[in-house]
Amino acid sequence: MKPLFSLLLGLLVVLTGTAAGALDGNALLLQVDRKMNPESYEMYRKLINVEPDGSSKEFVLYTAKKGQDKMVALFLSPASEQGRATLRLGDNMWLYIPNVGKPIRITSLQSVIGGVFNNSDILRLDYSTEYSVSKAEETADRYLLQLKAKTPTVAYDTLKMEVDRETLLPLTIEAYAASGMLIKTLRYSDIDDFGDGLLRPARLETDSPLYRGYKSVMLFAKIHKRDFADEVFTLNYLPKVDELR
Amino acid sequence: MNSVDPAPLPLHLLSILLLGTGLALLTGPAAAADTFSFDVEEFSRKPYDFNGYAELKAEHEAIDESGALGRIDGSEPLDSTRQRATGTVQFSGTYRWSQASFNWLLTAAGQQASDGWHDTADVYEAFFDVTPATNTTATIGKTSYNWGTGYAWNPVGFINRPKDPGDPEESREGYLTMAAETIKSFDGALRNVAVTGVLLPVLSGVNEDFGAADQLDLAVKVYLLLLDTDIDLVALIGDDQTSRFGIDFSRNLTTNFEVHGEIAYRHETTKVVLSPDGSVVRRSESASSWLLGLRHLSTFELTTIIEYYHNGGGYSDEELSRFYRLVDTAPQQARSLARSGYGRPFAGRDYLYARFSVKEPFDLLYLTPALTTIVNIADGSFSLAPELMYTGFTNWELRLRVTLLAGEAGTEYGEKANDARAELRLRYYF
Repeated sequence: MKPLFSLLLGLLVVLTGTAAGALDGNALLLQVDRKMNPESYEMYRKLINVEPDGSSKEFVLYTAKKGQDKMVALFLSPASEQGRATLRLGDNMWLYIPNVGKPIRITSLQSVIGGVFNNSDILRLDYSTEYSVSKAEETADRYLLQLKAKTPTVAYDTLKMEVDRETLLPLTIEAYAASGMLIKTLRYSDIDDFGDGLLRPARLETDSPLYRGYKSVMLFAKIHKRDFADEVFTLNYLPKVDELR
Repeated sequence: MNSVDPAPLPLHLLSILLLGTGLALLTGPAAAADTFSFDVEEFSRKPYDFNGYAELKAEHEAIDESGALGRIDGSEPLDSTRQRATGTVQFSGTYRWSQASFNWLLTAAGQQASDGWHDTADVYEAFFDVTPATNTTATIGKTSYNWGTGYAWNPVGFINRPKDPGDPEESREGYLTMAAETIKSFDGALRNVAVTGVLLPVLSGVNEDFGAADQLDLAVKVYLLLLDTDIDLVALIGDDQTSRFGIDFSRNLTTNFEVHGEIAYRHETTKVVLSPDGSVVRRSESASSWLLGLRHLSTFELTTIIEYYHNGGGYSDEELSRFYRLVDTAPQQARSLARSGYGRPFAGRDYLYARFSVKEPFDLLYLTPALTTIVNIADGSFSLAPELMYTGFTNWELRLRVTLLAGEAGTEYGEKANDARAELRLRYYF
């Protein structure tokens, strides 16, 4: 009996030891999300589409997010886009065009601004809301996470994310279609202090093998924790989003 | 404000200006280095917003000399072609104080055409709104409404001005109304509910073109976001001729495939009909109109919009054909019938709308070619409009569009005033 007990105890120690040392990818992903932004917040972004000849086109957006799946983005510039607003509620997305009135449903793969960023990049929810970690590895200075979309409605089927071990901030993300084709690569850089303990990248750059020679850049500013009423994230409120600023 | 004043035609000058500007735009923008900065204070909120656009448009039309709708006013076309040059400015703005705001949308256009100079200036919108709480808004003034989920037509748009399906996203004139709206959000299958009530008076000089005079109409819309589907229940309550009810929906079936639809019912409305014996009868009948549509985005960025529209109160192809023949035999009676319903756009019963647009084909960034067609299903006549749109320069938009109309004699598009139209439009947003 004694040798059997010792064997079972040894097995338990080995198993619990392994569990304690294993990388919990989903918990890590949650930490990455909170390092990037509070769950509910407002922010300003500049989006720049850069063409192969170096010329560029810029857009400025004000964005509000609440909870896991509510987000609205208002175009402040250029004049041709001013007042347009996009709303996301879970998998639902709409575009409101001033003077046209009725918001129309749009899809995550479309782009309201052209260039490499699509609507799901502009209205990005927390990574942990849309993805589960299917594989997690670590190196001396990085975590390597492979994320799988929780539903088929998510824009990218798989993400491969490199996370800095020290800061828990994402460095690069490769986005793949279900076919395994690389759709785009996102690169975060320029760590900045946004106040309230939020230290995160102020720049996101993306390029795509589907748009050779083109790239898009997103610059972040004034990311502040803020709570909003649920009714802000409704079609009827889209003409009034500017009142939140 | 309208005036007509014959003047020499400076169309060639405008065309040169438009083409010159277009070519200058297409030669390419200045290159910029990758040293981007973001001064967010530039975008701090002000108590007022002021923006709009200025537009130049040159049009060339090939006249259909046999088209009944071109001859209905009794005039004979002077030429086989017609040119128009139009300059338009639109100003929109908002002034805010505390929880209230004043909003306006003004438009003015001057047009030099073969028959002289025309100009217009209109107040499309001018209204106050008050938002005492995030979920409640009250509005008073001239406001435009855009109810319905259809892209080209809106059978449930009971208080909308009709769209131009050729340019459905252009702003339209509103009505003088008083409105209140409240929104409530929930967790669960039903995520949002919004109730909008609109009082629309029809008096001498106020909303006269809306319906019967000296009455107060009430329009109500209840919006639901239920099971990821937009649903609107819509009613217009007025006199017997005005009242109608409808429902619409819109839903994404997949990330790139949306379906939508509308159905509206109108009880016992009067319709003026030209009988086979030439007499004009006023018929009282109930009518249901409906629309079913889809929007699809392919992997190569082809957006397809297709809509089928059944206009329950419309005329059959035989009734329309009878009317077109009347233009030659009894033009005065035809003019009167045109005002009673035969002359309105999309007076037939069944239409198909299809639009195909490809974003940035062959890696040509900011270039969008599109093809739009509208078919009168009963008589087989149709319009076909290929176009090219370029938006590569901040705040500039250049569009070239050709519209071709085809149909036998006695059909809707066969009897239009022109056979073809080419249009070059340059718009600058400020």
